[in-house]
Amino acid sequence: MRRYHSLLAAVAILALGGLLSLVLADYRLRLLNVSVISAIAVIGFNFAFGLAGLISLGHAAFVGLGAYTLAILSTAFGWSPWLAIPVAILVTTLFAGLIGYPLLRLRGHYLALATLGLNVSFTIVVTNWISLTGGTNGISGIPELRLGAFAFNDERRFLWLGLVLLALCAAFAVTLQRSRYGRAMMAVRDDETAARMTGIDVTRVKITALCLSAAFAALSGTLFATHVRFVAPEDFNYAHSIIYLAMLIVGGEGAVAGAVIGAALLTFLPEWLRFLGDAYLAFFGLMLLAILIFLPTGLVGLAAQLRRLGGHREAETTS
Amino acid sequence: MTLLHATAISKRYGGLMALSEVDFRVAPGEFVAVIGPNGAGKSTFLNVLTGLTPPSAGRVLFDGRDVTRAPTHRRIRAGLGRTFQHGRLFARLSVLENVMTGAAIRTDRTESQLRALSLGMLDRMGLVGEAHRAVGSLSYGQRRMVELCRALACGPKLLLLDEPAAGLNLGEVEQLMARLTALRAEQELAVVLIEHNMGMVMRLAQRILVLNFGCRIAEGSPAEVQSDPAVLSAYLGEGYGNAQH
Amino acid sequence: MADFIQLFINGLALGSVYALAAIGFVIVYSATGVVNFAAGQFVMFGTFAGVAMLANAGLPWPVGYAAALLAMAAFGALFFIVVYLPLRTSPVVTVIIGTVAVGIVMQNAALLGFGSWPFRLVSPLEGITIDIGGAAISAHAAMVVVVTGLLVGLIWLLFYRTALGIGMRAVAQDVEAARLMGLNVNRLLALSWMLAAVLAGIAGLLLGPMWFADVNMGDPIALKAFAATIIGGFGSLPGAIAGGLFVGLTELLGASYLSSAYKDLIAFAVMILFLLVRPQGVFGERIQDRG
Repeated sequence: MRRYHSLLAAVAILALGGLLSLVLADYRLRLLNVSVISAIAVIGFNFAFGLAGLISLGHAAFVGLGAYTLAILSTAFGWSPWLAIPVAILVTTLFAGLIGYPLLRLRGHYLALATLGLNVSFTIVVTNWISLTGGTNGISGIPELRLGAFAFNDERRFLWLGLVLLALCAAFAVTLQRSRYGRAMMAVRDDETAARMTGIDVTRVKITALCLSAAFAALSGTLFATHVRFVAPEDFNYAHSIIYLAMLIVGGEGAVAGAVIGAALLTFLPEWLRFLGDAYLAFFGLMLLAILIFLPTGLVGLAAQLRRLGGHREAETTS
Repeated sequence: MTLLHATAISKRYGGLMALSEVDFRVAPGEFVAVIGPNGAGKSTFLNVLTGLTPPSAGRVLFDGRDVTRAPTHRRIRAGLGRTFQHGRLFARLSVLENVMTGAAIRTDRTESQLRALSLGMLDRMGLVGEAHRAVGSLSYGQRRMVELCRALACGPKLLLLDEPAAGLNLGEVEQLMARLTALRAEQELAVVLIEHNMGMVMRLAQRILVLNFGCRIAEGSPAEVQSDPAVLSAYLGEGYGNAQH
Repeated sequence: MADFIQLFINGLALGSVYALAAIGFVIVYSATGVVNFAAGQFVMFGTFAGVAMLANAGLPWPVGYAAALLAMAAFGALFFIVVYLPLRTSPVVTVIIGTVAVGIVMQNAALLGFGSWPFRLVSPLEGITIDIGGAAISAHAAMVVVVTGLLVGLIWLLFYRTALGIGMRAVAQDVEAARLMGLNVNRLLALSWMLAAVLAGIAGLLLGPMWFADVNMGDPIALKAFAATIIGGFGSLPGAIAGGLFVGLTELLGASYLSSAYKDLIAFAVMILFLLVRPQGVFGERIQDRG
């Protein structure tokens, strides 16, 4: 039963997403695509933040590095995007590993500030290295993804591709989380010293978590680039890192389902709350604060609490 | 045969000598207690042995290898295990997952083997009923037993226990002693016990090391240590009095 | 040479503003253990408090400044009650993200109140220049440096010469011990937040005439104040001052002599370098995560 959790997650995503892809109108499909792409990044972020407890405020830089690598390879060098995707993931993961060694000696707010600085630096470099990145004009003309004659060039088709990738990512993440590797990450999050005392190489676990999170971020970035077919610096500034963080917290950190739910919810929320106008972001901040204070385990945690409460009542009535 | 051999361990914090030239040997399967008043350097000594604190001077050999500079996780993988004075569990993992984290030290074990092994360990310690509970919902005594299970799941040759009986009630202390004794009857497991509960020390230890102000002031069998005048004047009388209430 | 002097004084003035923001940040961190990621928005609020009192309400500037700082003190108290108290027992991560959330609220509240069009906050010394070594220095920039110097002196007097300040330091060192000594800990913590808010307010009022009053100005200031704090040493007041001046000077001198595009990168590169090589900063004090 237990080992089917990952399969269950994948099937749920495919079924629900597939159903929505048939009934939703084009604009909603676009938002759903954005949700799917964000969800992959947030599942990645969950490795670093939710499992290993690394407070990163620079996740968007990894997304951006993936997106820009694909954009540059597929435009300036004329690579097939299919080839550029794995290379972009590899480049980003290597970068994460490289900066991880010095960076992950830092903890708590020091790590938060360092990763924030990293994200800001990324934006500055991408904005100013005009010969490579096009500066604030960004890079346009990114080729579409296609399989033979079948191009993923409308929202519905792209969504199918995105859903398959998201389902694979979610299944992988669920499997990992329930494995020794996931437990090792959570052990490091909960108590580094005690983790060492069970033979865990804390540095290696942290770097693995960061690299995994960067790899997922890069995949999300390449999908972003091939979906919008345009990248610009402001898509990956640190405000986006905070949005990824918020998605995970609203959904429920430490849980794959939380990552997916949070990503979808925070993508659609501005739509549903359009009547708030300019006040949306102020509301968003208040909502985040309220969730931190009253619902620190997010929506997934709330569901678990309700279930427990329900179970409790049942137990009381049967006894 | 020596399993652990620490030679001339010193640890200086500024002008304070937390440990000065402590020599210590543990043979395979031996049960040694380290006693001494609060601040004698006992926990610092365990920190040096496990690699949490680098010594200012001295060498640590474990199982024939020099581990003085080895990181903690290497020492644990080589067969050292430890529990902490106040108990440190992974707060957001279940009881079973805590123990499985320890069992995962052997990378060739499959997930189901990890599970079976950990459940077996919990069963032996009388905790199998709590396997799926959150560690936060356990009693203090139960939490300390889970920590012991986690350390044992690593399959140590030498287990360092930092005041395992502190905060336990009389019944729990009896249980802890019975289980440690049973465990050692089944497998060769050396134990270094730091404890203020003198009754427990005298009943379990084959040999006792007495520290005071970071120095070794006596070492020998329980009977020898009990009658050692230096120990009596420095510590034991006072310690014994404390243990009685 | 004249160019350099002008740049140097302007760099000092900008650095003074960063230093004030960093001092407010450090006071709150030392007293309450909270890393306030909304610190930049506090400064932005200060600037807009000035806009509201001087430009909108048309108060004469001494009254307007006083009213703006009073409003900031009230805001500090409000922040203490609404944000700090509910989150004070939460894990560090939660508190950090909580202040990020509050920063978003503050920025967008200002957007709702003042719109996205930048305002001009006029300095009382508007248009006056001083000649130093052939360089024309704006009197406002000189005033910023002088005011900051005076404030640093006052803060020192407060913390080391008054019972109130010594109480605040006691709370910062050990809340339990301070409580046992009979200090009203909550009142002192609230005062720390109010003091930080007032200092951020002064930074905002001083910065207003140098930049435009823009609701998006908080983030860049926060980033510079963080860099200043890390470089100077987390939790250290002299460190905050030295770090702030360093960041302000590198920003203006770097823009002029190295590259205006990458001027901000210098401060962050130095910050990250410090984090990696000397995380305790120049004036390294104790490094510890509070629970």
